[in-house]
Amino acid sequence: MASQVSSDLVWEIVRSNNAYLVKRKASGGVQFSRDTLNLTNKHARKWAGFVNDKAIGVVSAEKNGVKVLSKKTSASQQPAKAISETTYSGGKSTRKTYVAVANQAAVNDYRADLRQAAVARASAIRHSYKETKPTPEPKPRGAKAKKAAE
Amino acid sequence: MASRPTVTIIGKDGTPSGRYPSYPLRLRLSIRPDIVQQVHTGMAKNKRQPYAVSEKAGHQTSAESWGTGRAVARIPRVSGGGTHRAGQAAFGNMCRSGRMFAPTKIWRKWHIKINQGQKRFATASALAASAVAPLLLARGHQISSVPEVPLVVDSAIFEGGAAAKTANAFAILSAVGASADVIKAKKSKKLRAGKGKMRGRRHRQRRGPLVIYDPEVDGTELVKGTRNLPGVETCSVYALNLLQLAPGGHLGRFIVWTSAAFKALDSIYGTTTTPSELKKDFLLPSNVVSQADLSRLINSSEIQSVLRAPKGGSLTKRSGIQKNPLRNKQKELGQQKAEAGKPPKTPEAFLKVLKED
Repeated sequence: MASQVSSDLVWEIVRSNNAYLVKRKASGGVQFSRDTLNLTNKHARKWAGFVNDKAIGVVSAEKNGVKVLSKKTSASQQPAKAISETTYSGGKSTRKTYVAVANQAAVNDYRADLRQAAVARASAIRHSYKETKPTPEPKPRGAKAKKAAE
Repeated sequence: MASRPTVTIIGKDGTPSGRYPSYPLRLRLSIRPDIVQQVHTGMAKNKRQPYAVSEKAGHQTSAESWGTGRAVARIPRVSGGGTHRAGQAAFGNMCRSGRMFAPTKIWRKWHIKINQGQKRFATASALAASAVAPLLLARGHQISSVPEVPLVVDSAIFEGGAAAKTANAFAILSAVGASADVIKAKKSKKLRAGKGKMRGRRHRQRRGPLVIYDPEVDGTELVKGTRNLPGVETCSVYALNLLQLAPGGHLGRFIVWTSAAFKALDSIYGTTTTPSELKKDFLLPSNVVSQADLSRLINSSEIQSVLRAPKGGSLTKRSGIQKNPLRNKQKELGQQKAEAGKPPKTPEAFLKVLKED
């Protein structure tokens, strides 16, 4: 059973104000969302995971892993059961992880339109685990170099 | 939506103890945030106490204007001498120690009359919204451990004053998965910014769950048991209050129903066809739009059957367009090629030269 109330109606109710919405006056009044089921963190009908019957969320997991959340349409009235979680460990190759994430979004007629964003988010999360290279010591040049050589 | 919606009644330890077939929140589509907001604004004003500045403030002096010719402004000035006050401007709202502009009066219109029909509609609307999980999330309630929305708890749990003690009441809320919202409200307590601190509004905190009970069955002990739980409010099902059902005019309060209270909704509100038993001349508002799901509407056979086939599609074919071979180089080349026919075979002698060492 889909949810009792149409998600179109819910969106019209919550679009102006909700707990996830972040409004800033900067950049012409940007609107972001703190929803975990939002893949791009943008406040928009397409990405509003808590409103839509079907939604995908990608969050970081332990040990450099990636966790994919998805909503069960059958449990829309049961918040405790509503979200299924799948974790892909950091040991899994990136390509295999992305294929798995893409399949979760697109297979079985779930939300094919979210596939690219889901993979992009998984990729960004994996990228964030990489240690940044330390900035190299500045090499002395000119007079300082000569002094150092002596 | 074909099947008749039912609600699980949650027993001890969060296990389901039965299902309630009739679904009083069948008013599910009559969610009207505009009406709820308007009624809320009115109702929120009805608890105000009149205030005003003193009638005499700024006028307790015998000031008179000095008129023109004294090279000072014509504002009334305090008469007499022997003190600094003499000769100072008075009365005006721009003056030091003057009266304020448009002094506040106690006969301001403090209270707003709201039509009863609107109040009932707003309450019904807020109740309907409380059964929609996304709206609860949008209000910021922590419901990730709640087994079902609406959350109906067996009245047997509250029997004999079982929730008379705060610890017991909290244990019950924990068992049914509502404790996360209580903890969230508890942690949210902050000192208020500004003067409100000294005006009896020292702290601000989030609202937690609203426990709705039936005083005849559940007793009123749970009121005392929950009143020290931060954010938790209680309300009798016979005296529902929009200020609690939609705080701030925002729909989707997290409600914990006792089963007796939930069943009582049937007699209190009736249905769209049977009038209410307790409210005179009240029939639940019927929906203007029965199907609000846009994608279902668009993809329905009724609409699809009368739509024209898409023209062009995503790619527009331009095969029919005639190009001028006198101007279009590509067209000219193509024509020359076609006239020339197949290119001639490479002469044997040339290939020989090519492969020569």
